Amino acid sequence: MTAAVLFQWMLASLPEVIVITGACILLILGQLIRQDQEQLLVWASVAVVLMAAVATLMLAGEVRPAYSGMFVADRFSVFFKFVFYLATVLTFLLSRKYADIEGIGSSEYYVMLLFALSGMMIMASATDLLSIYVGLELMVLCTYVLTGFLRHERRSNEAALKYVILGAVSTGIFLYGVSLVYGLTGTTQLDAMAAAVSGDPLDPGLLLAVVFIVAGLVFKVGAVPFHMWVPDVYEGAPTTVTAFMSVGPKAAGFAVILRVFLNPLVAGSDVWIIVAVIAVVTAALGSFVALVQDNFKRLLAYSSIAHAGFATFGVVAGGADGIASVMLYLLIYAFMNLGIFGAVIMMRNGDFSGEVIEDYAGFAKSHPGLALLMLIYLFSLAGIPPTAGFFAKFYVLTALVERGFVLLAVVAVLLSAVAAYFYIRIVMVIYMREPERAFEPALTPLVRATLACTAAGTIGIGLFPGWFLKLAQESVFGG
Amino acid sequence: MTFPLLSLIVFLPAVGAAVLMCLRNDDAVRWTALGFTVVDLALTIAMLAAFDTTTHEMQFTERRPWVPAIGITYALGVDGISALFVFLTALLGWISVLASWVAIDRKVKEFMVALLLMQALMLGVFSAMDLFLFYVCWEAMLIPMYLIIGVWGGDGRVYAAFKFFLYTLAGSLLFLIGVIVLYFHGGETFDILALTAQDLPFDVQSWLFFAFLIAFAVKVPMVPVHTWLPDAHVQAPTAGSIILAGVLLKMGAYGFLRFSLPMLPEASVYYSTLMLALSALAIVYGGLLALAQDDLKKLVAYSSISHMGFVTMGIFALNLRGLEGGILQMFNHGVTTGALFLFVGVIYERTHTRSIADYGGLMKVAPVYTGFLALFTLSSMALPGTNSFVGELLVLSGGFGANMAVGTAAVVGALLSAAYLLGMYRKVALGPASVGARYQIRDVNAREMAAILPLAIFVLWVGLYPKPFLNVIDASVKHLLIEVDGKGSGQ
Repeated sequence: MTAAVLFQWMLASLPEVIVITGACILLILGQLIRQDQEQLLVWASVAVVLMAAVATLMLAGEVRPAYSGMFVADRFSVFFKFVFYLATVLTFLLSRKYADIEGIGSSEYYVMLLFALSGMMIMASATDLLSIYVGLELMVLCTYVLTGFLRHERRSNEAALKYVILGAVSTGIFLYGVSLVYGLTGTTQLDAMAAAVSGDPLDPGLLLAVVFIVAGLVFKVGAVPFHMWVPDVYEGAPTTVTAFMSVGPKAAGFAVILRVFLNPLVAGSDVWIIVAVIAVVTAALGSFVALVQDNFKRLLAYSSIAHAGFATFGVVAGGADGIASVMLYLLIYAFMNLGIFGAVIMMRNGDFSGEVIEDYAGFAKSHPGLALLMLIYLFSLAGIPPTAGFFAKFYVLTALVERGFVLLAVVAVLLSAVAAYFYIRIVMVIYMREPERAFEPALTPLVRATLACTAAGTIGIGLFPGWFLKLAQESVFGG
Repeated sequence: MTFPLLSLIVFLPAVGAAVLMCLRNDDAVRWTALGFTVVDLALTIAMLAAFDTTTHEMQFTERRPWVPAIGITYALGVDGISALFVFLTALLGWISVLASWVAIDRKVKEFMVALLLMQALMLGVFSAMDLFLFYVCWEAMLIPMYLIIGVWGGDGRVYAAFKFFLYTLAGSLLFLIGVIVLYFHGGETFDILALTAQDLPFDVQSWLFFAFLIAFAVKVPMVPVHTWLPDAHVQAPTAGSIILAGVLLKMGAYGFLRFSLPMLPEASVYYSTLMLALSALAIVYGGLLALAQDDLKKLVAYSSISHMGFVTMGIFALNLRGLEGGILQMFNHGVTTGALFLFVGVIYERTHTRSIADYGGLMKVAPVYTGFLALFTLSSMALPGTNSFVGELLVLSGGFGANMAVGTAAVVGALLSAAYLLGMYRKVALGPASVGARYQIRDVNAREMAAILPLAIFVLWVGLYPKPFLNVIDASVKHLLIEVDGKGSGQ
């Protein structure tokens, strides 16, 4: 190995290097600054992410494989990295005031988010089951800690513990699948795996291995039957962390799923039937259980399960359009979901929690502007045009029909009609009830900026989806 | 590039909505909303004046790429059929604003914004030449309409708004799948004209026909998916009812005309008997239900179901008289039923009751009101000399041409409509003045008159001299028939 090769490898992973270095520096910086200078931490964290974004953009021109086939910086990873940057930066902006209110404004909070970001970035770029594992663990370890960040609250502790135990089991299952793959094919590299078994893709041992890997990954995106942790963790974690987890790690999970599942090895087997069943059951469970939720965060947890199911439909479709549809779905989901979480976070002020749906009764009367924003996010989540959520669903359906899965598409739309019910139920509470008590949302300029950005994304992509669609289509690997 | 008149017509109300957002004074909001809708109507009249009635081609076309990666364009255009409904929408637009002048007394600005957005989307539906654009407008309408019913409606508004939303959503989602299937069968384009030119295999046509039927039947509404309509109508504010009855219901029938018939001609011919039977069922069943109502709005709502049955019957008679009658009847129903809802609203503002039993002898206290009410009631029951007579006569002659039994059922329905409408009029307007004792009833004022008069003019104009209206749609209808016969006669 020469220095020049090493330099090339470093260059390919420059964004990751920047984020990890930045996180380490912040860890030290956090101990040095005074109590009232926490604003500085937010801006420093944002600056780190922006630097990484610039580096990513500059490297986006060509495909750069690195680290002996374990890592690649291609357009596919660039697209996902930008989704992660978006999620992370908006989480930083939302966190400032919320962290003050909840008393979690220490530097570790921001550092953990940055490390989680680097884990996600590694996942998006990983082309080897082992580097996928490293990224995955880096990400989930940070989210375990972040979930339990409300140290004095039982719910938060309980959620963190549940998450750790279940997460560890799922990781174990994933690793077991990886070891089976290695035993059967002699490699853990995604490309080499496919080449090694070009003869008979239906070897029962391999199928078992694939099922284990699927199980491990599906846990991370919260799809049925590995969804049990989602509602408890989403409800218990600090709301900013929930917002982050529902967007970032979920997108990272899908990035890996796309890379693994659309590998010829997996695509050649009949595993898509399993994926189709997962998609249907996930969307159904998420939509139906959300109908009876009273807690806003729990409802959003089930809603995120339903959305994971819908995105999985895109994985079932496969092909260039299927992949692009999942990518576009995740980007749009990041905007609208962070938007609605931003609204929930802003409601947390004083003794007001804003976690129960009834808390929003008559919100339109007292705060018409904010209510309108919530209306936009909710209708977008429900998939009503002209919002972006509609186009996301539309494109997934197009990919499904293109592959001949018309029946699956019909199931998907019927389930999304069920899901629409609980979103517009919230709209009903906001617009058609009388306010019960007066409250003042915690509206800082940073929260305003977040809401403006997410609303612009939700409406903008809805009205002019052309550019984003092209971006997603061009970022599909190998096509 | 010529002057984008259609875009202007479609987007002007949306611009108006944006302007309203910046206003603070309720009166300024009302006048601005009125101004935008009147200008919009003027533009529509200018468009009709320049409209060439000799051709079935799309006119005033505009085309720009929107999402080029998957062949979505922003394409607008009108033929004779859509031109008529663009005009109807613009006509009812400013009347809706007038109808909510005092009836809406809280959150006036938000209401007018929703109303204007509705207007823009409805105009978009009628002038879209791209299926995707059509669907976006079609579906986006749910949002403002949900709010109009749910926020400004009556006591049961939340239930009614939910029912409206979910019914329409569930219907149109299957339509969406149909649209996507059509997209792949029709050469990966959403262009309505290109899709119309396709020859699809019969089994595909059949599936699509039913996917479309669910969406359109909910909107029309046809029995048995009509149950959202009475709830929505009764709970909606007057302007909401006018828009619902006047324009929204037409969209289902417009969908049949624009998509089912020309794109799926074989299936349309094959299933026309089924559709005729459903129409006859709606005519008779809607009439019987209307006969049993005590609530004024419910009565008009059920009569709408019956009258829309005439429309679908005319369309699926699949002959020239039936189709022209059906389309004319769509226009007539918009004018007449819109007016009837307006009348219910006017009297409700004074008495706050809609129960027919509470009224009586209104003629003595409000002679002008009852005089015009008589005109629209007679128009609704299709008395010769009024607009609906022309439409219903054409539909009936088309219907008898297609199927004797269905035609007969429609005549029964026409008799029923005379029974419930005259009964309603007798109880409300004639007899001893029972309301006057309890309420101080003023006759119609100038604002209400301004809303009523144009509608009355159209009732008589279409009734006495329908030629200009039939001229507008004539070329397009003939072309539509050629398409259905040419491709559908293989059956």
